[in-house]
Amino acid sequence: MASCGNPIADDSALMLSRPRFDKGKHCVKCKLNLGNIVIRHAVYCRDCFTPLVIVKFRRALEPHVNANAGTSKRPKLKASGSLVLGFSGGLGSAVLLDLVYKSYFAGRPPTDENGDPRGGINHPRNVSVWTSCAVCYVEVSSAIPEAHERTEEMRSALASYPNLKFIPLRLEDAFDESWWCRMTGNPDMSQLTLELGKDGLPTEGLNLAHSSNTLSPKDALRAFLTALPTPTAVSRAIQVLIRLLMFFTAQFHGASHLVLGSSLTTLAVSLVSCVAQGGGHAIREEFQEEWPPGLSPGVERGGSVRVVRPLRDVTMKECAAFAWWNGIRVPGRPRLTRVITGIPGLTKDFVVRLEKDYPSTVSTIARTCAKLEPKGTSVGECWFCYSHLQGGLADWKARISIRSHPNLKVVERLASSSPADSSVHPDQTSRLPPLDTHLCYSCITMFTSRSSRKSSFAPPLIHHQDMPLPRWVKPQDAEEAIPVSKNGELWVRSRQSEKECRESIADFLLPDN
Amino acid sequence: MSTITVKVEFGGGLELLFGNKRVHSISLPSFVPADNTIAPSSPPNSETPLLAESDDPPLPANGPIPDPMKGLGEMKAKPLDVQYLMHYLRSRLLTERPELFMDGDTVRPGVLVLINDTDWELEGEGTYEISDGDEIVFISTLHGG
Ligand SMILES: [Zn+2]
Ligand SMILES: [Zn+2]
Repeated sequence: MASCGNPIADDSALMLSRPRFDKGKHCVKCKLNLGNIVIRHAVYCRDCFTPLVIVKFRRALEPHVNANAGTSKRPKLKASGSLVLGFSGGLGSAVLLDLVYKSYFAGRPPTDENGDPRGGINHPRNVSVWTSCAVCYVEVSSAIPEAHERTEEMRSALASYPNLKFIPLRLEDAFDESWWCRMTGNPDMSQLTLELGKDGLPTEGLNLAHSSNTLSPKDALRAFLTALPTPTAVSRAIQVLIRLLMFFTAQFHGASHLVLGSSLTTLAVSLVSCVAQGGGHAIREEFQEEWPPGLSPGVERGGSVRVVRPLRDVTMKECAAFAWWNGIRVPGRPRLTRVITGIPGLTKDFVVRLEKDYPSTVSTIARTCAKLEPKGTSVGECWFCYSHLQGGLADWKARISIRSHPNLKVVERLASSSPADSSVHPDQTSRLPPLDTHLCYSCITMFTSRSSRKSSFAPPLIHHQDMPLPRWVKPQDAEEAIPVSKNGELWVRSRQSEKECRESIADFLLPDN
Repeated sequence: MSTITVKVEFGGGLELLFGNKRVHSISLPSFVPADNTIAPSSPPNSETPLLAESDDPPLPANGPIPDPMKGLGEMKAKPLDVQYLMHYLRSRLLTERPELFMDGDTVRPGVLVLINDTDWELEGEGTYEISDGDEIVFISTLHGG
């Protein structure tokens, strides 16, 4: 039984938990063996459990392998590029790696002395689903004081899977011009920063500036994390950095697929945590997405990466038992990053606790969220996290927010930002737009929400003038995109003068005296 | 007084809380205090386990097992069960962060327990009475994707 949390509720308000398993102790599948494990109230023996996990894995992955669904009911699996697997060292990604390797790469044909497959590359035996598989690990130790490097430990964990390429990345690569240049082939070395206020946190208007500092990537990462206002913001920022580092890397390596080891349990955590942080508009991408974003369906998808989470129907408990019974080595995630703080950490505690007593609710979270459709149109991508940008966000935020502006500069900018005064700035073309209109709601919150408690997560550093931003934050269009709704209607925003504003609400105003 | 020897194994990173040692062989009396008291001199939640510097509690070959029932007078006894074993592990072998192992009288949510290769949910969880030679595995699932 679990309490509903209300101290004055009587016993009838408590939610009764079902018995741990429904029927007898025999396996529900073969009905012969005594069961070894309970999965959502159903009992399975060890012999039936392993194939069950493999079926769930294939069912979640294989419909997304071929670029086009085709007409055949069981098409031959053939991906258009290579495979990149995001590896954190955690349980989910260790299980995923083992499943992917044994299902698609272990049966590699013998090679001749040149390293080419015998019988030629086009021999039917030698045609595999993906051309190759690379495992991508993002080292996060720079973000955490006193953490130690684990890259070599991860590399050695992969030793039992021959023929896989290892791609070690570092969290600070996001701030590294040479990495960015390699990924994009773009020699643009400019880095943008955010202006910081006196408190060392981003100012409300999120004013962009060209970087004047020459911090090393590692120091830039630390300065970035230090300037974030809350533990929740730090957790989310690290997640966004890891995610985009992997996306850019997968695209760079010509991957057609990036697979991630999120289990059903971690998926439920990220869904609830995404909504709690204001990311509901991009919730569909938590299930499946394409990279780079913003291509409409039906458009030729050459060079795009499909992000798939093949363990989305397998719970953490199933992953743990599968890893144990199949002797899969789980290096474990770097110790300190497990202690995630803020909303993501609290959500994880909540969901894991819920799953213990009510094992079915976790899949209910996932199934319910899978039915959600974002309301309204997307108007491009967020400059920071590249998720869909909700149309009309600034207007909506302006309507619901009561803000005070202790910063005079912001007040001035708000008061005088009508197009008419743009002639005042002759260097208008080189001026950077404020970032706040190009961020999704979660990112605005990440940069601007204030906590009563200052984050104790980031190491105290010398205060910087500004906050370095990842290399991918670039003004994408000089012109504001004009959102067009599905029926062709144009949405144009214009600022009302105070007089117009007063007139439009005149009927509701109380007399001044 | 008879003793029971049980093999305890940690997986999924939980071994890090137990001095990074995965396999432990533990001998305990067949009857233990019903309130899970570990030893009069070492109350539960003790910050400094008596045997912190040694690997394991003494095996039968190393000498007599201290009888936890001795000196407890009218204290109620119960057959050795998994719940007592967990309290014992926490008091004697855990080296850091007890909250990552136990939650009240049971394991923390997110820890999978296998008794002789079978989910402890099928075996009565903490009330399972341990027999000599049983193998009990604690696996953490909390190490993310
Ligand atoms: Zn069976
Ligand atoms: Zn964003």
